[in-house]
Amino acid sequence: MEVSDSAEAVSRKSMRRTIRGGRPYFFGDPAIDKVLNMVVVLGSEVWTLRERLAALEAIQIRQGGLAAGEVDAHEFSAEDEAKLAAQRKEFIDSLFRILQEQVEESRRRVAKVTPRVSSAVTSKVTSKKKPPVARRTPRRRSRSR
Amino acid sequence: MLELKHELKLSKTRDEKARMNFVSGLRAHVLNDMANGMRTVWDGDVEPEFRRRQKRTPKDGPEVHKAIRGNEYFKFYSSLRVTAQDMVWQSVFPPLERNREALKSTAGRLAGRKGSLKLKSGFEVPRYVSAIDVHLMAGNYDGEYEPDDLAAGALYDNGLAVFSFGLMGQNLDDIGQSIAGFVRLKYPGFKPRKILDLGCTIGHNTGSWKDQFPAAEVHGIDVAAPCLRYAHARAEAQGRAIHFTQMNAELLEFPDASFDVVFSSMFLHEVPTKGIEKIMAEAYRVLKPGGLMLHMELPPNSQLSPYDAFYLDWDSAYNNEPFYKPFRDLSPEGLCRRAGFDANKYVQFVIPSVGWYGEKVWREAATQPRDVDNDKTGRLSDGILWYCFGAWK
Repeated sequence: MEVSDSAEAVSRKSMRRTIRGGRPYFFGDPAIDKVLNMVVVLGSEVWTLRERLAALEAIQIRQGGLAAGEVDAHEFSAEDEAKLAAQRKEFIDSLFRILQEQVEESRRRVAKVTPRVSSAVTSKVTSKKKPPVARRTPRRRSRSR
Repeated sequence: MLELKHELKLSKTRDEKARMNFVSGLRAHVLNDMANGMRTVWDGDVEPEFRRRQKRTPKDGPEVHKAIRGNEYFKFYSSLRVTAQDMVWQSVFPPLERNREALKSTAGRLAGRKGSLKLKSGFEVPRYVSAIDVHLMAGNYDGEYEPDDLAAGALYDNGLAVFSFGLMGQNLDDIGQSIAGFVRLKYPGFKPRKILDLGCTIGHNTGSWKDQFPAAEVHGIDVAAPCLRYAHARAEAQGRAIHFTQMNAELLEFPDASFDVVFSSMFLHEVPTKGIEKIMAEAYRVLKPGGLMLHMELPPNSQLSPYDAFYLDWDSAYNNEPFYKPFRDLSPEGLCRRAGFDANKYVQFVIPSVGWYGEKVWREAATQPRDVDNDKTGRLSDGILWYCFGAWK
């Protein structure tokens, strides 16, 4: 059983949805944080459409037609749920793939500067012999605050 | 997305469920994948650059923070994490707003079956709760919009289901089940008769003590009335007899030596240091000799590497958790000692999440103590371990 919205609409004060004290911004221009937020919200809506479509398809296949409210009431089977979870992960990964590029670059440098098996002692010795210098390109350089 | 398993569960449309699924997936991506990515960026770029400039490694979390905060990956990680945090609560508002009347009537129907609820008119909520939207949760725990309002409790319960992406258990009680069960396993001779949960909010971890020690009388206190109303209805919906009272943990209204266990979870880090000291002293006062005080918390900075200290302190800087780092800079042993506990009776446990690791690993931990594991302890990501500390009186 769950709480249902069958009760008549009551005139009431809406809950506040804005955060007191505002929110933190990370980029030199806060507009970038705001645009990123918009992109993610759009991403959420794209995902929402996909889930809705998946529900429609599942119902179509099962019944060959739709009845009112059927999509909202639809529950995925455990198998469909698992499939969607995997697809969702893929979707999110692809959305942020551009950020992964920086990680890949760093990973290549990790391999160069710090041998994977290093204990604290070995890495110290290594760093004495060969000071690790991170390769920097103008594209990658970011402003320090 | 995790569905609540009790009668206060909100009805949601297919689209509302999908939005919640997305936010949970987004959080899992940021807190698992991107957190790992940021560590790689640190190891491969930022840390070597720091060493090259300073001829040494960073000494603490703030130095790591200072070194990394200009990095683009850190900015994306942080900006996305804030966005995801905001979207957690935003995903709950539409179904919650629509269901507020139904929620109240369901709660009314459930009230007073087994446990109890005591609220006080004119109760003064401390400013560290009333003046802040902790973890970017608009309205905070105590926001009230009408008489007998419990919407803030519902916002927290439903939000936590999205926020935790499965890491807090099917009933959001993995902390309670892991820790209360651990105490029962580790101390088979300990039979608490009265148990108190401080700052219990919606009682999601309070109920576990009743499950593990069914003969005990279990109490939960909090300053936020809407959460307590919800906690009471939630416990009744789950068939648990719990007694909820509106009370400030700094000024407990219980007699001396009246409890066998005084517990809290994810609570102290939301209180300023002065308040924490008072809470510890009050816990000591209301404990019976031979009783156990236990606080589930984030591990102290002194037990973490500089990078991992920085990683957990992120919340303090960017997630409206102003007391999070000050708390984690304190010594847990020192806190217990100053409250009156014998230094020899201090305890600290690192407990595997029973939901994540399963019964076998979790049971083994009761006999084989673990140390703080830097990137697993207290960190909401795959493989989570719960940290707790306290003392016997």
